[in-house]
Amino acid sequence: MMRVIIFSWEFPPRIVGQLGEHVREIALNLVKNGVETYVVTYHDHLTGLSEEEGISVYRVTNPVRTHNGVLTWVLTLNQEVERAAANIYHNLDRRVDLIDVHDWHFIPAAVTLKEALDIPFVYSVESLEDHRSHGAESPFNIAIKSIEQLGLYETERVVVKSGWMQDEVNRIYGIPKAKIKVVPPESEAGFDEILETYSSVVGGRSIG
Amino acid sequence: MGRELSVMMLTWEFPPRIVGGISSHVYNLSKSLTKNGTKVYVVTCESPGAPRHEVVDGVEIFRVDSYKGPSPDFPTWVYLMNMNMQREAAAIVKSSGGDVDIFHAHDWLVANAGIGLKHIFRKPLIATMHSTQVGRNGAQYELERMIHETEYWLTYEAWKVICCSNFMVSHLRRAFMLPEDKIVMIPNGVAFEEYKCGDNDSTWFREKFALPEEKIVLFVGRLVYEKGVHVLVEAIPKVLERVNAKFVIVGSGYMREDLSNLVERMGLAHKVFFTGFLDNETLRRLQKCADVCVVPSLFEPFGIVALEAMAAETPVVASDTGGLSEIVEHDVTGVKVYPGDPDSLAWGITHVLLNEDYAKRLKSKAYEKVRERYCWDEISRRTKAIYEAVLEEYSECFWT
Repeated sequence: MMRVIIFSWEFPPRIVGQLGEHVREIALNLVKNGVETYVVTYHDHLTGLSEEEGISVYRVTNPVRTHNGVLTWVLTLNQEVERAAANIYHNLDRRVDLIDVHDWHFIPAAVTLKEALDIPFVYSVESLEDHRSHGAESPFNIAIKSIEQLGLYETERVVVKSGWMQDEVNRIYGIPKAKIKVVPPESEAGFDEILETYSSVVGGRSIG
Repeated sequence: MGRELSVMMLTWEFPPRIVGGISSHVYNLSKSLTKNGTKVYVVTCESPGAPRHEVVDGVEIFRVDSYKGPSPDFPTWVYLMNMNMQREAAAIVKSSGGDVDIFHAHDWLVANAGIGLKHIFRKPLIATMHSTQVGRNGAQYELERMIHETEYWLTYEAWKVICCSNFMVSHLRRAFMLPEDKIVMIPNGVAFEEYKCGDNDSTWFREKFALPEEKIVLFVGRLVYEKGVHVLVEAIPKVLERVNAKFVIVGSGYMREDLSNLVERMGLAHKVFFTGFLDNETLRRLQKCADVCVVPSLFEPFGIVALEAMAAETPVVASDTGGLSEIVEHDVTGVKVYPGDPDSLAWGITHVLLNEDYAKRLKSKAYEKVRERYCWDEISRRTKAIYEAVLEEYSECFWT
């Protein structure tokens, strides 16, 4: 049975935009298809591992409470995400087949886990810093872009929701289109394509 | 243990990259641990001209991409650098076949990397706290609080916290609410061999810094508030009333411009020499040929420059604060003065400069004491004993 961890900075009951519900739909569909599904996410105080609708949800909080913006907040939260993922890995049989990272927040954790424990990751792009900040080029924006770039470079496969986003990832970061899979959201066919993408990444590597 | 114990040091500075005291600390500790049969990997920030991977004195050094993009502020850069350091360190651990028993992080500057590696590889983490944000300049403002909380986080995640003076033991307990049995005190050390430069005729060298009739009063340290350089500058006129001297100030820091403006306004520009940062060899020679070495710190976890002066056989005048209080014994191995008090500091300096016999007595006693207490061989033995004790406990925990 394939074992997958999804990293997302929002997941119900914590809703910031539409990502939380989207990730829940994907996770539910994975469970339905017999995938052992974990979600590692953030919550200020509802921390720990719990079973929700067949999904194992592991919530972590930020050990550093004072921040001057989302960037430092993200960069200290990543170690807790790593701890959660490492706990899943070590407490079971030292196997996680794939990590699916939604947006840039937990890219640092995914990249380190790939280096350390040989877990491949898929990068699901919800939005890009260039669009969110309207092309702003302050050191803050550039740092976030560099994290997006690291993720796009290190990932096995990029997943986007539209042909337009595929063009944008290609235009802004120079990622070859062949590496970017377009999966229209919330459709039965879309869920199948996500599962296919996972399987192709996992199948392309020898899992011990 | 079937093979030799292996440790990975994480540090943001390592020679040739030198910012403060951590660089030479980690270098000497690593070298000495290697000599005592420990395999040491050092993962540190890159430095222009230094190779990405090399072996020096048996220590295996890896220099990582330290994030060269622009950063909004210093702490954010530190976190971004940690992101890279952690990723590269993870690859090094893996390529070594998992041959790392312990991660040893030096200060909050590598907290994220150390904590992440600990959990991912499930190996114990040891932290050395060289200083604290509360001690440096407080934790009032947002960024200062963030650093303070990161330091707390590191001490929380560490199996043991090492610090270098009894003062720091009590300071760490108060700053981070640490239980006492989690803290280990191991004093800092000094590398005696660096003061063995055989050149007896130092006149030509001395003339680069002072006139023949001037005594040399030496300050070495970062030019930042807690080092108290401004107190020294205020003491200068009071010293000059009684002794002709040149004040040589070595180091750089954010107060550099303020200090040289202050010196200018006081009409003392001809009596003060700001050398900026000096290379190791020049610094060692200067410490040997100075007439007195001053350590006017307001906050000082340890006070390595006092120890260096003692090893260089130069008399020391130091603030009676922090770790300095423990290193210097007043009237025996140096002169202690009130911190933040220019009158007291001026008294200490003139007292040493005007009494040659007294100065001679101080420095020989100081040298003797330093030799027996602060050698790296002893420090690395004690550090290794901590590693072994931690691994013993670790072997019985559910991670193994």
